[in-house]
Amino acid sequence: MTLRRIATVTDLHQYLQVALQLEHATIPPYLTALYSMHPSTNADANRVIRVVAVEEMLHLTLAANLLNAVGGEPDLTVDGFVPVYPCHLPDGEDDFEVGTRAFSPEAIDSFLKIERPAEGENQRFVARKRSHRALLPRVDAHEDDLHFFSIGEFYAEIGDGLHRLYEQHGEALFCGDTARQVGPEYYYSGGGAIVKVTDADSAAAAMRVISEQGEGLGGGIFDEEGELAHYYRFQQLLLGRYYQPGDDAGNPTGPTLDVDWDAVYPIVADADFHHYTEPGELRDAVLAYSASYGDFLARLTEAFRGHPELLLPAVADMFRIKELASQIMRNPMPGRDGMNAAPIFRGLASVGLSSVKVA
Amino acid sequence: MSVEIDHATAVSTLYDVLVVGSGVSGAIVARSLAERGLHVLVVEAGPGEELSLADYDTYLTRFYGAVAKDNNSAYEVNPNAPMPRSPDVRRLQAGHPDSTGYLIQNGPYEMDSTYTRVLGGTTMHWEGKAMRMLPEDFEMRSRFGQGRDWPIGYDDLEPHYRQAERELGVSADVADQTFYGITFPPGYEFPMHGLPPSYLDTIIARDLDGTVIQLEDTACTVSVRPTAQARNGMPNPAYDGGKGYVPVGAVSTHQVDQGDRCQGNINCVPLCPVQAKYNARKTLSIGLRTGRIDILTQTIASRVHVGEDGQISHIDYQAYGSTSSPDHVTGSLRATKYVLAANPVENARLLLASGLPGSSGLVGRNLMDHAYLLTWATLPEIAGTMRGSQCTSGIEDFRSGGFRSRHAAMRVSIHNDGWSWPTGSPYTDLLELVDDGNVYGETLRRRVVDRISRQLMLSFMIELTPEPSNRITVDGRYTDALGNLRPVLSYSLPEYTMDAVSASRRVSRRLFQRLGAEDQTKYDPLDPGFVAHQGEGYVIRGGNHWSGTHIMGSSSRDSVVDDHQRSWDHENLYLVGSGSMPSIGTSNTTLTLAALSFRTADHIASELTTRPSLTVGA
Repeated sequence: MTLRRIATVTDLHQYLQVALQLEHATIPPYLTALYSMHPSTNADANRVIRVVAVEEMLHLTLAANLLNAVGGEPDLTVDGFVPVYPCHLPDGEDDFEVGTRAFSPEAIDSFLKIERPAEGENQRFVARKRSHRALLPRVDAHEDDLHFFSIGEFYAEIGDGLHRLYEQHGEALFCGDTARQVGPEYYYSGGGAIVKVTDADSAAAAMRVISEQGEGLGGGIFDEEGELAHYYRFQQLLLGRYYQPGDDAGNPTGPTLDVDWDAVYPIVADADFHHYTEPGELRDAVLAYSASYGDFLARLTEAFRGHPELLLPAVADMFRIKELASQIMRNPMPGRDGMNAAPIFRGLASVGLSSVKVA
Repeated sequence: MSVEIDHATAVSTLYDVLVVGSGVSGAIVARSLAERGLHVLVVEAGPGEELSLADYDTYLTRFYGAVAKDNNSAYEVNPNAPMPRSPDVRRLQAGHPDSTGYLIQNGPYEMDSTYTRVLGGTTMHWEGKAMRMLPEDFEMRSRFGQGRDWPIGYDDLEPHYRQAERELGVSADVADQTFYGITFPPGYEFPMHGLPPSYLDTIIARDLDGTVIQLEDTACTVSVRPTAQARNGMPNPAYDGGKGYVPVGAVSTHQVDQGDRCQGNINCVPLCPVQAKYNARKTLSIGLRTGRIDILTQTIASRVHVGEDGQISHIDYQAYGSTSSPDHVTGSLRATKYVLAANPVENARLLLASGLPGSSGLVGRNLMDHAYLLTWATLPEIAGTMRGSQCTSGIEDFRSGGFRSRHAAMRVSIHNDGWSWPTGSPYTDLLELVDDGNVYGETLRRRVVDRISRQLMLSFMIELTPEPSNRITVDGRYTDALGNLRPVLSYSLPEYTMDAVSASRRVSRRLFQRLGAEDQTKYDPLDPGFVAHQGEGYVIRGGNHWSGTHIMGSSSRDSVVDDHQRSWDHENLYLVGSGSMPSIGTSNTTLTLAALSFRTADHIASELTTRPSLTVGA
């Protein structure tokens, strides 16, 4: 157990910044699968994936509230905030990768792996070599051989750290400007309520939503709020039926669910700048998309730094992002037969970097 | 969420309450009573297989694909439970009734108002304005010598307005809605803050605020105000003494997490794509959690039967399996109390078809609707028209005052959807630019934007007074696919209203002048709804605010229901909805009929729970 536990408020800030990164990292894969479906097809699959993506956005906002509450500075614009897909999950599993891919059984399979329930009780720390594709960045820069948590255990450590620091500092731990807290006036549609974090109780409430929403309860398929765990929501798409209360894992008995794996644009997997070296409209569109996404992350950063009202125009940003992504996906890729283009979720800075890389 | 039971079970059950109609009034009565422990059956003539999002999405898909996007275009043609549709309306020839559509137009004036016969009723196409009536609207006879007084006043209804604002999820700010006598209890807040005014609204307000317009002896000072709306906005944490409010999003059998906030789509009518706008399915789905509401769809209440004691003994139904076949089964349903909540036209039609015109003979009479005069112009600047929601502000200053003893009051809506109602914009604009303008590509895009984003449409919603000659009747010559008598409409616009139509046109010319806008209003004598008055012609459109056919009063001699919407003739029968309203003023009727539904639910509950002989359920 070489990983440094949370001992100082600075450690906690680092962990929570990583939490922001982690919650965000699953969003581009989910959005890519969503946007790759032909318009007005796959209604059921669209809803299932959309709801999970929206819950990850809630978790992202809750992580920002927690970080702000303890005096940190959320930053969604730092270099490397968005992983380069494909990448491994941070819990050390290297049997699969997460990527930005078209809606397909294989994509759903990787979503199942992202959301798979924890297997054992004593897997708190997993000793693994850090993969260069790991999603979680270094938590302790002084360690050469870092070890990684599962997502659930990562949050358990934050919970414990919060508790320890609270015992040391008392309510002084929550020294952040309360005006930075995002409340229900600015965040909505998250499959659960947004929580303003101002003290130990509200911090615990926020932690519960982040770490437990979408996790099955005691191995069951529904969580504490009666919501179906994310893993089983995705599994419905492969099994072709909805779960209903009373069902056992693996055997849903609800209404059938329409999935049309063919009503999907055949987009390039894990699109990156090297796919778009040819100058032209497509490259311009992809670069513009990446820049828009960067603007969007910059807007969120500003919103999380004392301007929660900016989340209102950010909603319009999301409509724009969706529209631009759909436009790109309708285009075939020059020189790659039967393959359509796909957007890159990076940012302005990365566009600049990429031209170096490309050259 | 299983909402349907089979007809055999329903037939063998003695319900506490049978509700005919699943629209807003029926849903509110059903939910209120079920939550107080009563067993309720709701029958709906139209389809609506389950309260799922998939069902709603089929409506959206049909609407998106429809060529004529009228307010019922989202719903399939259903000969078994037909509904009026505005494209069916033709210019009438004197003395020749038109039976083209479901509604027989007997004239002299043709009317293009509609209602919707599906699960959720006409809230499946309404726009979502949720306005209280003015206190003076309840006293039309005593204050202005026009129309009728209500047997109850604003203060009696005020607590129920608050219930309705909770149920429908109204977004508004008290300061904006306090005008012309409307009052709220101290400290009251709406469930959600007012929705932001559109950019168009701010332009109109900039140029019109402070304009004084004389209506008879009343000087009206124009002030553009945000409109109270039943669509989800920012929850007000101060609501309900600081308890706040959780918006009700899309109705679905599976978690969907959408509709918690209006996204500014412009097709509020007929359907909000995310269900941020209230529809009665929200009320039904919450009510179903009690386990005490049964719903039968595709089940038409075909005849109301009265026993020897004058009470309703049972209601016959016809249940059909498919909208494409008239095959159906019949049976009878029984309950302790019966509530007709099928809308003013269908309530009257059902009673008249059952041979129950009422001892006063007033069932079907005193029919009202709002008369709409649409006026449109081109603004001198880009105003961002076509960004939703449909209407976010209006002018309330022609609704109140001494002029109402001379002519009707009017309310102005500023339409963010531009000329879509009068001209079919933006589709017609596009066709014209392509077919006649021969433009394409970049030029076409620029011309479309330039043209549409400067459109201004002001609608004048004008009140009608109850006239016994405006009425719904039935006639054995006109039946639907299942043999049910179709409604026959006889309708004309009173002088009192037409004088306000002329005044509205004068006002719109003044307002356009102040705005520097180019008046583009044209009324074609060949269009349905064309009426001449004082030497000028107008096209009057219906408002879909059907009212008055079972009018409320203080005596059985001159009204159909009492102030609890109970039939004077049949003690266990309630006729609910805007059909009970003795006046409609200049407020869209939904909030008021919702408030009345809460008041009636209280009354029915007190009747049923104070009777020692009652057995709950069967």
